[in-house]
Amino acid sequence: MDLFLAYQSLIAFVGINGLLALSVYATLCCGQLSLANAGFMAIGAYTGALITQHARGVPFVAVLAASALLPAIIAVPLGLPVLRLRGVFLAIATIGFGEMVRLFFVNWDYTNGALGLVAIPQRTHLWTIFLALAGALYLLGRLRGSRAGYALEAIREDETAARTMGIDTTAHKLAMFVLGAAIAGVAGALEAHLTFMVAPSGYGFGRVVDMLVQAVVGGTAAFFGPVIGAAFLTVLPEVLREAGARLGFAPGPFRLFLNGAILLVVILFLPNGLVSLLRRRRAA
Amino acid sequence: MGQQALNGVFVGSIYALFAVGYTLVFGVLDILNLAHQAVFMLAAFAALLLVADAHLPLWAAMPLAVLFAGLLGILLERLAFRPLRGRADSNISGLISSLAMGTVFEAIALQIFGPDTSRFPHGTFPDRLIRIGGASASLLQLCIIAISVVLMALLTLLLARTRLGRQIRAVAESPRAARILGVNVDRVIAAAFFISSSLGGAAGVLFALAFNSISPDVGRSVELKGLAVIILGGMGSIPGAVIAGFALGLIEVFTVAGFGSSYRDAVSFAVLFVVLLARPRGLLGQAAAREA
Amino acid sequence: MVVLLLLGIACKEKPAGEASAPSGGALIGAALSLTGAAAVYGAQQRAGIQAAAEEIAQGGGPKLQVLIEDDGSTKEQGITVFQKFINRDKVSAILGPTLSNTASAADPLAQQAQVPVLGISNTAATGITDIGNYIWRDSLTEAQVIPGAFKKAREKLGFKTAGVLYGNDDVFTKAGYDVMRKTLADQGIKVLDTQTFAKPDRDFHAQLTALIGVKPDVVVVSALADNAAAIVSQARQLGWSGPILGGNGFNSPAFIKNAGAAAEGVMVGTSWNSLSQEPANQKFLEAMKKRGVNPDQFSAQAFTGVQILAEAIKRAGGKTGREEIEKGLGLVKDLDTPLGKFSFTPSRDAQHDPSVQQVKDGKFQIVQ
Repeated sequence: MDLFLAYQSLIAFVGINGLLALSVYATLCCGQLSLANAGFMAIGAYTGALITQHARGVPFVAVLAASALLPAIIAVPLGLPVLRLRGVFLAIATIGFGEMVRLFFVNWDYTNGALGLVAIPQRTHLWTIFLALAGALYLLGRLRGSRAGYALEAIREDETAARTMGIDTTAHKLAMFVLGAAIAGVAGALEAHLTFMVAPSGYGFGRVVDMLVQAVVGGTAAFFGPVIGAAFLTVLPEVLREAGARLGFAPGPFRLFLNGAILLVVILFLPNGLVSLLRRRRAA
Repeated sequence: MGQQALNGVFVGSIYALFAVGYTLVFGVLDILNLAHQAVFMLAAFAALLLVADAHLPLWAAMPLAVLFAGLLGILLERLAFRPLRGRADSNISGLISSLAMGTVFEAIALQIFGPDTSRFPHGTFPDRLIRIGGASASLLQLCIIAISVVLMALLTLLLARTRLGRQIRAVAESPRAARILGVNVDRVIAAAFFISSSLGGAAGVLFALAFNSISPDVGRSVELKGLAVIILGGMGSIPGAVIAGFALGLIEVFTVAGFGSSYRDAVSFAVLFVVLLARPRGLLGQAAAREA
Repeated sequence: MVVLLLLGIACKEKPAGEASAPSGGALIGAALSLTGAAAVYGAQQRAGIQAAAEEIAQGGGPKLQVLIEDDGSTKEQGITVFQKFINRDKVSAILGPTLSNTASAADPLAQQAQVPVLGISNTAATGITDIGNYIWRDSLTEAQVIPGAFKKAREKLGFKTAGVLYGNDDVFTKAGYDVMRKTLADQGIKVLDTQTFAKPDRDFHAQLTALIGVKPDVVVVSALADNAAAIVSQARQLGWSGPILGGNGFNSPAFIKNAGAAAEGVMVGTSWNSLSQEPANQKFLEAMKKRGVNPDQFSAQAFTGVQILAEAIKRAGGKTGREEIEKGLGLVKDLDTPLGKFSFTPSRDAQHDPSVQQVKDGKFQIVQ
């Protein structure tokens, strides 16, 4: 029981990071490298926190819905122009968007700038997080094998060819972009109501890179891959904490070093991510 | 106004030098090297070690530190990029492997030098103030601008005039065609990394000298700026990166003067955003679309 | 599956982390930022805590075993470290976390579990000690330091207008600025221009040129030590010869060392008087010198934190239960620490006299 208590927040972060990795996967699965999700997450988190703090009676479900909706609405006018960009160009345009969102909250006095909002009531439970995660997984899993799913795959393989086949590439890409924004928004709100606070420093460039890394390390060939990646990379620093203590290393840079080294090994030797480990075992 | 323009040119020269190396690797491999900022940082530390502990004069320490950065570039290419070559998703996995290497480099710096800001000993560079019109600049600042311009000119010459330069351009155009023409692609890519990282390292040393502050996270302050610069200039375009580096420096400075510093970074990103939407290939990017 | 497996590996008993001082006695957890953005302060705090634990062990005080963990400067890891301390290591009390943001996220968990927390560097005005009766801190908030410092500086320098420069993306410096703005307004000083910077910035020429351009009587800066040194050097280089007034972050020997001659005349309001001749401070300075650490207010506050916990245990009759320590903290009064005579306010914040210092001949001097 104590063990569970000691690591329940870690389990919660596994779920939240899983949602975030899925939000990146939503666009990645149709070949689009969008890195706007730290920004969407921030919008969702602040929206949720402000509603909870100013409208006490609103049920949590409604708060989460608002936190999904606002980023999704913003994603439409943003997605229409930027999704015309390819590859790294899309990535950088969306990084620019994310930074602008962060700077907006840094400069917004109403939410105390860098200090952020504190003393947000804790309304997120473990089951809320994993229910949301299950919902997102179900949605993305259902897409596989569906008509829309095939269209997305076609876009990923060759966008021009997909368009000539009569697939409305813009609509499909936009839909996934909006879905990713909504998932990131929910994850942001869940985190805000778990950690009692939101502040702009949590939504920088590093955050979205984390999401991408988790998605890719898990493997984007399967819809559940990003969740595995998120679980692995969220738990890894804590495992290294224990390992470091056992081996007699002072806490600090050594853990950072191992984290980087393991990430490198995974990306070099498991081209399809951790998911391929599961597959290999099943095949054997 | 004159002072602000000078401030802009000064920061711009460092942005440009940082971004030139960045964009060189992108031009050749189509991969963003997120460890570039870590090389920038380690080179600064190397110069510091040589000056403060080995008591070398700056003119000797700087080339050695730059050489060290170049070797780091080769190491980086061997460990994080070469194994990925030929993989379909190499532009995303390369992003991540370089990020991992960056983390490793940063952890090493943190272990050796600690998180504090380190500085060059007093008097490493003569403290002289020069007045130009109403503006003041230190001798060091002017030297930095000069060194950056010379290094960028050398790079342009190297790419345009030498055999290696032609080979680099050939590989950038099409690695397969280059190989058929008898170019040793692996060697050329390694050379491109050496040059790219040397320039990044030179930028790091100059940055550290200019602001006299080196810490394991010093690269973070130029990382995103560098990204903005190579986009503005057109991915892979060396002259583009140079012009965009100076442009970004000036944009930043005049945003501070005109609107206030809170908007400085937001304006930079807004410009980046607008340029991307209006001219996806950047100001000087090739018109021929290369699908990334 | 993978998660469970990894957790299984992680969960074999034996407390992790770096233990200092002999085992036995009260187990104290310290959540410090040893990597990430706040690593600079974490390093200072670790040195301060280790020095104090040794000092107390040698002086025959209550036995303390301090378990130091890295929170990576993130609130997520901060929370995980707190829950590990509370539920697995079963610590009697927690020191830290380094950052106010992390404190707002992690302290409520300790409050729920009724584990006393002593913040040693959180300066945000709200969201820390108002979490509940188990949350204490020994770091003065900016609101307790700056108004007095400004008043004294004004008596000395007689300024009427000011230009302000602050770091707007960092909690320490933003909290400092909020108080500065209010103080300047309250004291009727006109702010001619306000500029900001971001923590990773190294170049402040543009902002300083703009500030100097409006010709204020004084330049007021809220920045941490390494930025502060660069700001002051660059201001002098740009020809600013007027007075500079700094916040808490300036108060570090590293500032004078790094800014060199440019630091002359800079005035600082501070919670730790590095020049204090009191034996408690001298002992602290000596302990830090032995470790080869150039101390600043962060290590002073960390050192004090361990002293306060030892005192609380003493006051609780040597008992090391969580509730006893909480009670004991309430009884701490006029304790001799590097920060001066230390007591808590009724709202569990720090209470001791701040001081105003000015750099003269390459050293901080007290302004009377």
